[in-house]
Amino acid sequence: MTPARLIARQSLAGLARDRSVLILIAFFAAMVLVTAWLGWSATNTVNAIYADAATYLSASGLPVPPNPVSQSAPLAVLRNLGVYISLIGAFGSIVIGQLLIETDRRAGTLPLIGARPFERRDLALGKMRALVTATGAMMAVAGVISVTTLLTIPSLVVGPGDLLRLALFLVAGWAYVTIFGFLALGAAARMPVTASGLIAATVVWLVVTFVLPELTANVHPTAAINPVSTLANTPDSAFFHLTSRVLGPLSLAEGFAWLSGDLLSFLPDGLAPRGTIPPAVTLPAALILAGLFAARSASKLDLNAGGPDA
Amino acid sequence: MRLYDRFTTRENLTFFARLSGVTNPVDAVRETLDFLDIAPLADRRVGTFSKGMRQRVGLAQAILHQPEVLFLDEPTSGLDPMGVRQLREIIEKLHARGMTVFMNTHLLSEVARSCTSIGVLAHGKLVFHDSMQAVADKYDERSLEDLYVGVAERAPEVAA
Repeated sequence: MTPARLIARQSLAGLARDRSVLILIAFFAAMVLVTAWLGWSATNTVNAIYADAATYLSASGLPVPPNPVSQSAPLAVLRNLGVYISLIGAFGSIVIGQLLIETDRRAGTLPLIGARPFERRDLALGKMRALVTATGAMMAVAGVISVTTLLTIPSLVVGPGDLLRLALFLVAGWAYVTIFGFLALGAAARMPVTASGLIAATVVWLVVTFVLPELTANVHPTAAINPVSTLANTPDSAFFHLTSRVLGPLSLAEGFAWLSGDLLSFLPDGLAPRGTIPPAVTLPAALILAGLFAARSASKLDLNAGGPDA
Repeated sequence: MRLYDRFTTRENLTFFARLSGVTNPVDAVRETLDFLDIAPLADRRVGTFSKGMRQRVGLAQAILHQPEVLFLDEPTSGLDPMGVRQLREIIEKLHARGMTVFMNTHLLSEVARSCTSIGVLAHGKLVFHDSMQAVADKYDERSLEDLYVGVAERAPEVAA
């Protein structure tokens, strides 16, 4: 077993025994279940109303319109999943990234690890591998619940294409949350007080999730988190047109929301992503940059710091 | 003692054995646990241990890969008399195995009981070094404490 793999395995075992991580993952799974239940409930309600209406219309000799459920894409029942991934999933990833450094620093095992014969980059790779696996597990949980929901709702016909789109959505969700995990890991490694790393990554997450969409989506306010069509008149301001164009590619939360809508087939016609660079480019680019930051920071981690004697 | 509290003794030791490149970590851990008489602690979480128990597990972690030289920094710090005695016995066993053990301590009585050589560091320099036997021969009328104080008082000029 390579040192990086060994460190990843040890780190994952540590995460699995950390109560805060378990609570966050359980909460995330619960919210995915809520999404699934809401989708199932809404679909059943529409179906029931449609059945009553269809009976009435038939009895009255009037033409029966098609069932609206069959008119919308089956994946649209999971539309809230994107919101929970960008909120709870991303925050969970931040906590995991920070804990991957904090656990060793608090236990004081960094000097013991540093005294062993392996490269510093193996430590960074091991920690990053653990993060990638943990966030992957989160998305796998979301995937299992989502597929179960889709297969449980009788009126939904789910084809292989839908499952492929769901898989791509989960990959996008994984990339999105892992960006913040990498930032937290890198910041925790770089700062002598690990809590500062958590705060720094959380501030970036808050800016990306709440501040940037305010600047980029104000030409289309209702699309700040959910990619839905305009419900009110938009402020046609030159300033917001400019910020939308300039900051659009950096507004990862909005980019992920747009991508979610596109992949889960509930994006309104004509709703374009912000800026000139599409989210399919900005998200992988951000993931790579965050990964490089985490790798560099974790490679330079002070292995003499921390511990019960510190 | 620096260990993962949420892991058992065996899990802690196996991790560090693997990281040290020990060929057969499972056997190495078992042998070390037996050698230090801590096999009953193998599957208990380290976070539940007393200071003395943690000290012994920490020692196990340090000797897993069978180093030729072992540095112990204030190993008796915070231990009760029973823990001190157990640690002394372990050090004697390690010495009997052929391991060189450097022990950094301010407990001169412990030095007199456990060590074969003594050195005094002052301002980062070795200002005195001799075997315990020679010290006993030369300073038979003086205590080890008197020797230490004498060397320490002369330390600035010796170190210079």
